[in-house]
Amino acid sequence: MKEITNKIKETATRLFKEGQVDIFMAWTKGDLPFQTKPYFARSVDDVDNIIFDEYSIHNLSGTLLKFRDGQEKIGIVVKGCDSRGVVRILEDNQFQRDRLYIVGVCCPGMKDPLVAMKNYSGFNNKNSAEGIAAKCLNCTTPNPVIYDEIIGEEQPPHLQGERFEQVNALENMSYDERYKFWADTFSTCIRCYACRQVCPACNCRTCIFDEMKPQWVGRENNSTDNMMYHLVKAYHMAGRCIECGECERVCPVNIPLMLINRKLVKDVNELFGSYEAGMKYEEGAKPALSVYNVNDPDNFL
Amino acid sequence: MKILSKTRLENVFNKLNETAEVFVPMQRGEQSGFYPWQTFAAGSDKLWLEALNVYLPPKNVVFPQTERMYNIKQEGQDVKIDETYEDSKSRVIFGARACDVKGITCMDDVFLTRGYEDSFYKARRQATTIIANACYAPGIACFCSAMGVKYVDPEGADIIIRDIGDGYVWETITEKGEMLTARIADLLEEREVTLPEPKPFQQDVNYDGVAEKLKGMFEHPLWDKLSQTCQNCGICTYVCPSCYCFDIQVKMYGNEGYRFRCWDSCMYEEYTREAGGGNPRPASKERFRNRFLHKLEFFKERYGHPLCTGCGRCTVVCPAGISIVKIIDAVKEADTDA
Amino acid sequence: MHKCNCEQPLVPIMVEVIDIKEETPDVKSFFVKNIDSNGVPFNIEPGKLAMVSHVPVGEGMFSCTWQEGDEYLQFAIKNVGLLTGELHQIEVGQKLGVRGPYGNGFPVQDCKGKNMLFIGGGIGLAPLRSFIKYCFKNRADYGKIDILYGSRSYADLCFKEELFELWLQEKDTRVHVTIDNPEEGWGGHVGFVPAYLEEINPATENTIAVVCGPPIMIKFVLQALEKMGFSDEQVITTLEMRMKCGIGKCGRCNIGSEYVCLDGPVYYLNQLKQLPPEW
Repeated sequence: MKEITNKIKETATRLFKEGQVDIFMAWTKGDLPFQTKPYFARSVDDVDNIIFDEYSIHNLSGTLLKFRDGQEKIGIVVKGCDSRGVVRILEDNQFQRDRLYIVGVCCPGMKDPLVAMKNYSGFNNKNSAEGIAAKCLNCTTPNPVIYDEIIGEEQPPHLQGERFEQVNALENMSYDERYKFWADTFSTCIRCYACRQVCPACNCRTCIFDEMKPQWVGRENNSTDNMMYHLVKAYHMAGRCIECGECERVCPVNIPLMLINRKLVKDVNELFGSYEAGMKYEEGAKPALSVYNVNDPDNFL
Repeated sequence: MKILSKTRLENVFNKLNETAEVFVPMQRGEQSGFYPWQTFAAGSDKLWLEALNVYLPPKNVVFPQTERMYNIKQEGQDVKIDETYEDSKSRVIFGARACDVKGITCMDDVFLTRGYEDSFYKARRQATTIIANACYAPGIACFCSAMGVKYVDPEGADIIIRDIGDGYVWETITEKGEMLTARIADLLEEREVTLPEPKPFQQDVNYDGVAEKLKGMFEHPLWDKLSQTCQNCGICTYVCPSCYCFDIQVKMYGNEGYRFRCWDSCMYEEYTREAGGGNPRPASKERFRNRFLHKLEFFKERYGHPLCTGCGRCTVVCPAGISIVKIIDAVKEADTDA
Repeated sequence: MHKCNCEQPLVPIMVEVIDIKEETPDVKSFFVKNIDSNGVPFNIEPGKLAMVSHVPVGEGMFSCTWQEGDEYLQFAIKNVGLLTGELHQIEVGQKLGVRGPYGNGFPVQDCKGKNMLFIGGGIGLAPLRSFIKYCFKNRADYGKIDILYGSRSYADLCFKEELFELWLQEKDTRVHVTIDNPEEGWGGHVGFVPAYLEEINPATENTIAVVCGPPIMIKFVLQALEKMGFSDEQVITTLEMRMKCGIGKCGRCNIGSEYVCLDGPVYYLNQLKQLPPEW
C-alpha cells in the first residue's frame, strides 16, 4: 500500500507540475487509524497529504458531479468499482473524458472506516466484522476498467461463492414474505438521501425526489412514501447500477440496498441478454434499458 | 440515596407504561435508538442503557420526523379544518445522555421562545418527562463538555440516574420528575453508595471564541476547502440531537387530507429554493457553510449557546469523514488578517 | 371581528375570496374577508407578511398589498410556481387559509416628515403599495412622494389605474413609469429602473428610498442610490426568502442569525450590511 501511495503521489506531483490537472482526487488520513476519507489536492503542496491504504474505500467518482459544470481538469484515483462509476458518468454524458486523468489502482479489497467508526464509537453494540468490507466481498471487478495509467498488480475477483445467492433467497420467498421483508426494511429508512448522494448513477440535475411541480413522491416518513422512494430509485438503477455498493455502505440504518440493486442486475441480464453496466467506455454507448431493440422482451408489460 | 436496582428496570418500565409511552434505548436489528417499551421484542431487541449512546437520538419523541398538524376537508369551494392534532399523550424518555437532553432544550429555545410558541411541539414537550442517564466515560467521538454540556449532571432533565453497576442512583430534579418518581417509589430502595469517578475526554476540543471569530469569517476561503468533499446528504442533520429544521407539506386523498410537517435538511438544494427558481444557497459550499455557522455561530447569537451538543454522532456517520471537531479546529487556526 | 390564532400559530384561519382582479397576465389580486363576512381575520400593517394557503395545495408567504379597514385584505400574487399557479385558477367564493401577520413591516412611524421615494420593479410594487397607500391615507405626515416603477412591458405593469390616474391626483406626488423595451402605443419612458432612477436624479435631502423588485434590479438600484448620495440609513428594502412556518422556527429563511420571516422582511441598508451577504 505504501508503494501504491508513493506512486499515486508521484503521478499527482507530475500532473500538477505539467499543468495537466487543477484538482487531484484521492484520499487522506483522519485522526483515527481507520479514518481514511476523500481528499482533493489543489496543488503540489497538497500532494503529501494523499494516502492510499486499506481504508480507501470511498468511491470518488460520484463527486465528479460537483465539477460537471466547471472547466477544471481533474485527476482521479479509481479502484475497479470506482472506475465503473466513471464510465457511468461518461456514458450518461455528465463529464468530458478529456477533462479527466484517471489513475487506476488494482484493488486488493478494502475495509470500511464507517464500520470501524461505529464499532469504536460506542453507538452500536452489534459490532460488524472489521475485515474486508461487505461490498468488497461481492466484488467482481477489482481492476479498473478505464484509466490513463494503472498502478499495482492485477487482482482476482474478491467474490467468493454465488453472486446472486441472496437474490435467489429473496426470489424463493413467498410474495407475502417478500413484501413483509421489504416493508419492514424500508420502514427504518430516515430519508437522508445519502444513498442517492453517493451514487454515481444518481446524476440527474433535478432529482425526481426534489421535484415539487408535480411532487412525485411524498415527504412523509411512512411506509408508503419510503417504499415509493426506494422503488423509484431502484427502477432508475436498472441496467445502470455499477455495483460499487456505496449506497448500502453509507446507509446510516443499514438498509440492504444492494440486494434490490443486484436483483435488478440479475433481471436485466436475464431479460436483455448478458449486460454489465459500466464495464467499458465507448463513446455513445448506452445502458441496456436506454436502447430499443425489437427483440426486447415485453412479456412483463 | 434512592437506588433503582437493575433487576427492577423492567418493572419500572412496565409500571410507567401503564400511563405513558416509555422510550428506552435499545439495539434493534442493525440500529440503535429510543424505541417504545411496548414494542420491545425480547428475542430481537436488546435493552441497552449501558451504551455510550444510541445511534438515533430521542428528539423524535418531542419532534417526530413526520407529524400531522390538522385535517383538511374540501367540498367545491368550501374548505374546512375541523381537527388539529396536538399530541399531549404522556411520554417518558428513559436514559437519555446529557448531550441528547441538551438537544431537546435547544429545541425548547426554538419552539417555545422568541415571540411564538409552537403548539404542536409544546403539547408533546409538556407531556414528556425526561430521565437522563449521567455519563462517566466519554467515548472517542464525544466532546460535549467543550460545547457547555454537563455530562455528569445533565441539565434539562426531570430525573437523573447514575449507573453504579448493579443499579442506578435515582435523583429527582423537577416537579414533573417527582410525579413520575411517586408512581414507582415502591420499586426504589434506600442505600448509600459511592459514585464513580468521571473519566476524562478522549479528544481535546476548544470552542472558546469560535462563535465570535466566525462572525468575520463568512467569506473566508476555508469554507471552499472544508466543504469540497461533502456529499450533501442529510445523515448529519437527521442523526443530530438538536437539528430541528422542518418542512410543511400537504397530503390529499381526493377531497380529504391533512397538512403535516416533517424533518428537512439544510443540506438539500430544495430547502431554500424559491418558487420562482432563485436560491440563496445554491451550491454545496453555501449549504455546508450555513449548517456549520448555524451550529457554531448563528444559534449562539440568537439563543446564547451553540446548537451543537458535542454528541459526536455526525463525526461518526459522515461518509466523507467530515467532522465538526475539525471545523472548530480549522476556525481556531484560520488566518483572518487577510 | 379579528380571529387570533395565537394559540396555534401554524393553523390557518379560513377566509373567503370576495373578489379577484387581474392586474397583469400573470398577476392577480385576491381580496379576502372572514367567512361570516364580518371583518378581516387580523390587522396587518404595511410591509408585513401573511401566509396564504390554498389549503389542499400548499402555503406561501406574501406581503399584504393592502388592508382596507374591516373590508378586506388584498394580496397581489404572481403566478410563478405550484401554489401560485393553483391560486390563479380559483374563483370568487373560494375558501382560503391565512395566518399572520408576520414580520416587522415598513417603518411608517420613522418615515414621518420625510420625502418618500418608492422604487419598484415588476411584482415588487405589491409590497410597496401598502406603504404608498398608507402615505396617501396619512398624507400630512409625509413630504413629497416619488414613485418609480418599471416592468417588462405595458401589460406587465401592476395597478395601472393607480399609476396612471389615482396616484397622479395626490398632492405633491410624481409617478415615473418605465418599461424595458419600446412598444407600439407606449409614449412613456423606456429603459431599466436603475438607469431611469439616475435620469430622474431625485434629491437626497430628508428623503427615504424604499426599494422592492427582482434581486438584479435591487442590486443596481442600491448602487445608483449610493452614487446619488443616499446614505445607508436612507435606504429601505424588503427581502424575499423561501418560508414555511413564518414564525422563526423552521429554519430556512435565515440570513446569519436573523430570520427574515420574523425579524424582517424590511431592512434598512445599514442593517442589511451587518448581515452575511446571502440575500
